[in-house]
Amino acid sequence: MAVTHMTEPHTGDDEPLLSVRNLTKHYPITDGLLATDVGRVRAVDGIDLDVYPGETVGIVGESGCGKSTAARSLLRLEEPTAGTVVFDGEDITAFDTSALKRFRRRAQLLFQDSDSSFDPRMNVGDAIAEPLTVQGMRERTRRREIVTDLLDRVGLSAADADRYPHELSGGQQQRVALARALSVNPELLIADEPTAALDVSVQSEILALLDDLHATVGLSILLISHDLGVIRQLCDRVAVMYIGEIVERGSVEDVFTNPQHPYTRALVASIPTTDPRERGTAVELTGDVPSPSNPPSGCRFHTRCPELIQPDGYDFDQRTWRRIMDLRQHLADGTVDIETICHQSVMDHDDDTGPDQRSETEPTAKLREEFALPEQLEDARADSILESALDCLVAGDPGRAADLLATEFATPCEQHAPTLEATDAGQDASCLRHD
Amino acid sequence: MSSDSDSRRNTFEDVDWDEIDDTARPISHRALAIASAYAIFVGGVAYDVLLAPEGDTIASLGLSLQALDWLYILTLLTLVVFGLVPLSEHRRMTAHYWNQFKKNTAAVVSLGYLLVVFAIGSIGPRVLEKPRVDARNAYQPPVFTSVESWLPVDCVGPVVNDRCHGTWAHPLGTTHEGKDILVSVIYGMEVSMQVGLIAAFITVTIATVVGISAAYFGGWVDTVLMRYVDLQITFPTFFLYLVVVYLYGGSLFSMIVIFGLLGWGSIARIVRSEALQRREETYVLAAKNAGASSSWTIRRHLLPNVSNSVITAATLLIPSLILFEASLAFLGLGDPTVPSWGGLIASGRNDLQYAWWISTIPGVFLFGTILAFNFIGDALRDAFDPRSGGGTT
Repeated sequence: MAVTHMTEPHTGDDEPLLSVRNLTKHYPITDGLLATDVGRVRAVDGIDLDVYPGETVGIVGESGCGKSTAARSLLRLEEPTAGTVVFDGEDITAFDTSALKRFRRRAQLLFQDSDSSFDPRMNVGDAIAEPLTVQGMRERTRRREIVTDLLDRVGLSAADADRYPHELSGGQQQRVALARALSVNPELLIADEPTAALDVSVQSEILALLDDLHATVGLSILLISHDLGVIRQLCDRVAVMYIGEIVERGSVEDVFTNPQHPYTRALVASIPTTDPRERGTAVELTGDVPSPSNPPSGCRFHTRCPELIQPDGYDFDQRTWRRIMDLRQHLADGTVDIETICHQSVMDHDDDTGPDQRSETEPTAKLREEFALPEQLEDARADSILESALDCLVAGDPGRAADLLATEFATPCEQHAPTLEATDAGQDASCLRHD
Repeated sequence: MSSDSDSRRNTFEDVDWDEIDDTARPISHRALAIASAYAIFVGGVAYDVLLAPEGDTIASLGLSLQALDWLYILTLLTLVVFGLVPLSEHRRMTAHYWNQFKKNTAAVVSLGYLLVVFAIGSIGPRVLEKPRVDARNAYQPPVFTSVESWLPVDCVGPVVNDRCHGTWAHPLGTTHEGKDILVSVIYGMEVSMQVGLIAAFITVTIATVVGISAAYFGGWVDTVLMRYVDLQITFPTFFLYLVVVYLYGGSLFSMIVIFGLLGWGSIARIVRSEALQRREETYVLAAKNAGASSSWTIRRHLLPNVSNSVITAATLLIPSLILFEASLAFLGLGDPTVPSWGGLIASGRNDLQYAWWISTIPGVFLFGTILAFNFIGDALRDAFDPRSGGGTT
């Protein structure tokens, strides 16, 4: 279905329905009695996005990357910290209360958790009609007719209007949620993880319904999901988010078949495949997802990137290089527990040799083992620096060890933030390898 | 549905919102009805205060409404408008709660008892004469019981074996002043209902407004309101009442108003904590997404969803107020002209040895009423609890 749309409708002359520029949402972290600002969670940190009329655009990313916050702040359900959101030629960030209320008819959000998005004391009919009532439609009979029609279209019966949300299954609730979102005939529907809480079989029903409504009503849809399969099934274009930023953006076709950003490559490789020859090729991302309250410097993906740029003059095996950087990351985070590692080495050797007979190099060898580093780096100079850093670490000076490694194994990825630019493959990606 | 009606059916695509924006919003019949009911009430109060001759409201009917009566009318009016009308509008919800509620037999019996007490207490004082002091009629025993014949001055019933037997003339006997206890108890019913309902009405109204405002608007509104609640909770209301009694004499009106106006602190805290939770629910965001205003969200989402805890708190507050009034009346700190149960119990305490019925009978009614409210409070809490099983089926 999605494939039949133009893959890149924005090549035409038409204006985008929704145009987001530099959308930013930071949450202040406050502390103490006076609520002093001690930092900010950069949930969404300057994203640009266009949605053209009739188009389905996806935003994909891991949990906590800011997808939902992006959806809420671009609808001004939460006030964005900065940026502009132009909807049909008007900047909605400048809207006053009444203009915003009118805007709510034209853009609706479909919530992730359909169960809690319904007031348990409002029956289904009243819930679907709520946007109509709020927007000023007073005639009860007319509202009732619209609700009946909507229930019919989303595959429920008119009698369901009298039921209460808790009497419905998850799939039925999501259908009702869809009916509620459609009731004011919006031009843009933002669907925030519309199927995340559903069984797989129900998921596909809801997606089919969404796709069907998209075709019949002519909606533009911004679909937010962590599930690449869902995005691939419904969307024309996709934006990949990582810690509050868009790292790759382009047509679904381009992004999924020829991803240009290492993060996208890792995501695409993680899609389960039925082809046995393609199994086991998944790129494993090391490390934890960094916190948006303290995003990494330079390229935000550099702490986990499997394709990190190597320093001038070195040509490591890429996996070894990643592990050196992982060690640096652990040192920076202060998560290296030298006591445990060394203690473990004493324990291991207790049976055959006494502690006195241990050779001097053993703790560092143990550290290499711990961080999956080879016993000897190919490059002699690099190896000696690594060895002296490990020595510092054993000697109880992790700061100096970190400094040593940081000076020698500096990567441009931690110093320069890449910008989202067009690549040769067609889509936009923000990776220094393309700059 | 046939295809014919389908084609004529209104759909969401047909709606011309600009047209709806341009049409004037007629006030709904419901809002109009509520507004006029309250307007009539305000008009009545204004007439009574400004125009009516001293002491009489409607002289031709011999009707004289005091401040307390007006408050009682306001309480009942509000109970109908915001209690019974919504219940009758949401039949299925009501049926669900009733099914949950009736699982508790004691509560159903209690509800029946209270409805009877309320009905008799409302009608009785209108048709029955206020009990009069009649020394010759003193110490009549209740029907089916007897007492040694020297106790009553003049035994109304038959005297058999030197024992005075009770008669249907005074089914529950009389006091040492010769007041009929049945009539006194009936008058006491109205007093107890007035105390419980009016004070609970004042309390619940203020607590809900304060609690919801604090939770919804947050920030300094929250801080100011909740710090005031902290202060008020430490305020010795009882001593304030003693001072008022000392200065102006006891009066039911001042008792109700003082305890109503100063007793809402803890319920406001309950409402606030409940509303704080509800405010974070996705359906509040969904209402915002629909374009709803703060007042809509508060009226349609927060208020109905905190009403459970409010109603439960109120049903448990009412008996404590009734008991408090009885205690004050027993101690002689009430209005001596009001035929309260507490006063009646107090009047019999010197005769407990000979005339047990004077204190016991109103005591049984007081006990029954307190117990009934507590049972109902318990059952309502269970019925409203979504975890009670019924909520998820």
